[in-house]
Amino acid sequence: MLLMKLYNGPLLTAYEFAIELYESMRFHIALRTQKLRRSLKSNCVIKAINEMIEAVLTDIISVGPVPYHVSFIMDGNRRFAKSSNLSLQRGHEAGGLTLLHLVYICKKLGVKCVSAYAFSIENFNRPKKEVDTLMQLFSEKLDEFTTRSADPNSPLYGSCLKVVGDRDLLSDDIKKKVSRAEELTKSEKGFTLIVCFPYTSRNDIYHTIYSSISQVQNNKIKTDDITVRTFTESMYLKEYADKCDILIRTSGQKRLSDYMLWQSHENSTIEFCDTLWPDFTFSMIYTLMLRWSYFTTIQNYNRVQFSLRQELSNKLKIFNRKKKIPIESFPEPPVAVTVSGKE
Amino acid sequence: MSQIQEGVRARVHNPDDEAISSTHTKPPLNASFEKGNANTKLRTLKAITESIYINNEYNKTEKNEIIGRKQQQNYFAYLFYKILLVGLFIVYGAFRYAQYQYNRVKLRIYDLVYNPSNTPQLIRQDVLKLDKIPKRVAAILDMKPIGDVGGGLTGLLNDSSELICWTVSAGIKHLTLYDFDGVLQKNVTSFREEIHNKLSKYYGPSNVPKFVVRIPHSNSMYFNRDDSESEENKKVAIEISLLSNRDGRETIVDLTKTMADLCTQGSLDLSDVTMDLVDSELTQLVGPEPDLLVYFGPSLDLQGFPPWHIRLTEFYWEPDNTEVTYSVFIRALKKFSSCKMNVGK
Repeated sequence: MLLMKLYNGPLLTAYEFAIELYESMRFHIALRTQKLRRSLKSNCVIKAINEMIEAVLTDIISVGPVPYHVSFIMDGNRRFAKSSNLSLQRGHEAGGLTLLHLVYICKKLGVKCVSAYAFSIENFNRPKKEVDTLMQLFSEKLDEFTTRSADPNSPLYGSCLKVVGDRDLLSDDIKKKVSRAEELTKSEKGFTLIVCFPYTSRNDIYHTIYSSISQVQNNKIKTDDITVRTFTESMYLKEYADKCDILIRTSGQKRLSDYMLWQSHENSTIEFCDTLWPDFTFSMIYTLMLRWSYFTTIQNYNRVQFSLRQELSNKLKIFNRKKKIPIESFPEPPVAVTVSGKE
Repeated sequence: MSQIQEGVRARVHNPDDEAISSTHTKPPLNASFEKGNANTKLRTLKAITESIYINNEYNKTEKNEIIGRKQQQNYFAYLFYKILLVGLFIVYGAFRYAQYQYNRVKLRIYDLVYNPSNTPQLIRQDVLKLDKIPKRVAAILDMKPIGDVGGGLTGLLNDSSELICWTVSAGIKHLTLYDFDGVLQKNVTSFREEIHNKLSKYYGPSNVPKFVVRIPHSNSMYFNRDDSESEENKKVAIEISLLSNRDGRETIVDLTKTMADLCTQGSLDLSDVTMDLVDSELTQLVGPEPDLLVYFGPSLDLQGFPPWHIRLTEFYWEPDNTEVTYSVFIRALKKFSSCKMNVGK
């Protein structure tokens, strides 16, 4: 009885107090660590050092073999938003930032073309609000990219933008914006960013089949002119449609989800990562690139049949003892006889 | 629309044009597993170090202008970076070697854990623990060089018929086997013999499960070992489709050509060419989309598997694995059963 009273009375208060104290302490500690982490991140010295290391590392890898076409499936924006208690829009914005950052890294590495799966035709099935947000975000990013591409101080200076996919599904407003952005960056040759919006690979293949047939019907080409090569070149991605060297999909799903089926079903490296797209950082793309570069170096070596010794001796000429002499110039061998005495 | 299918199948191809696996360039990681080039540690080290020299001299034309630009800028800086790159490669190589060994040990252990040793009941027991199994499974098989263990045609026949036995025991009704050159298609008689032998080893010679081998490209069906096409024999436990590189891009292009011809003749209207028509034609010509694709190689290499048919297919492979083993198969099914499917959402 006494215990009960005590329990309901002062003991409970003490217990509650202790818990409250503990909670507040934990909260303070968490806040401190977060602040510390943030200050470390925003600290200009550390930031500068970080950037310097990144720059040197990119320079190193850019002297080796570099992929021609890199493609991303940006999966995990929504889960990222959920896990860090942000709104959906913030999640997608974070994803957009990551893409721009990665495009910048790839451009510095010497990659010729980066493509990204921004919006699937299937995504129109999502709630209307989210689709609208994505559309708005897309048009904002479009403007940002165009201005950056024209700005000589920006790392994205001199890059060409292409938006591929079924444009009929877009609103007129966005369609106009897209064609304006493409027109502005058309002349740039050094680097291309392909944004697939709204795109599915089956739609791409179907579209090519349809346009080839209509071309035949209008007598522009003959049936026999359609080969795998011409077919590939008339796809949405034009000259980049044949092959993508590395396809990266984030957030752990191991399927293509109707993206780059034609491009990646032959000879390309497909990488699946467990991280969510906004968390995909420099170090991750760097390891993937290093891995690709490493194995490509070995593959190239096996292909060219290279011998350092021969190469050097050719250069130096002194050790070049092996001369090719034709058999006709040899002296005649002695007379040949048989033991049986027959001819 | 059987007219279209007939048209596509009637298209003859110059045999010289046909791709063979020797001309197929593998993705870099898989290529490093090829034997014959003597991919030893020493050779790898040589390859890496000599790459300093190679890329300057050999691939100057092939390599993009980045190197040219760098060279113009400062040759010594370029060389310096190149040496640093080699250092980085060596570090990565060491890490990769450790990773490779780790993966191999892991695979060995899995092989010990999952060992069916010709017992269908045990396989069914394993499968019963899963929530769901795929309706259609596809597998990409490599033909190994003849000199290797399990290499050549016999090795391939053995591996694929073993895989068929596991699939039958797991209760999956459709299996698609893909090999680049279509070796299985060419040797379909001995393949059926081999399947029969393996199945009788698993189930006893008196009640061998019935099977049908389909070659969608030539539209032919082969029932059991000896074409006994009675009604009773048509109730099969498993349907096996054999695909090759020919069923990939080329079939899609052939379909386009045939439809274009039909359109010019006037027997097909352009507005009839819809996504659904293309899909149904390709399903007829190649087969339905598999739910799970298992690759028994070191890293995912689709080798030209029909592109239309891998839209939502789940992939499974074990890193650094080179053999067709039961543990890979059952782990693939396990992975599949835990996957969430949400199209576009």
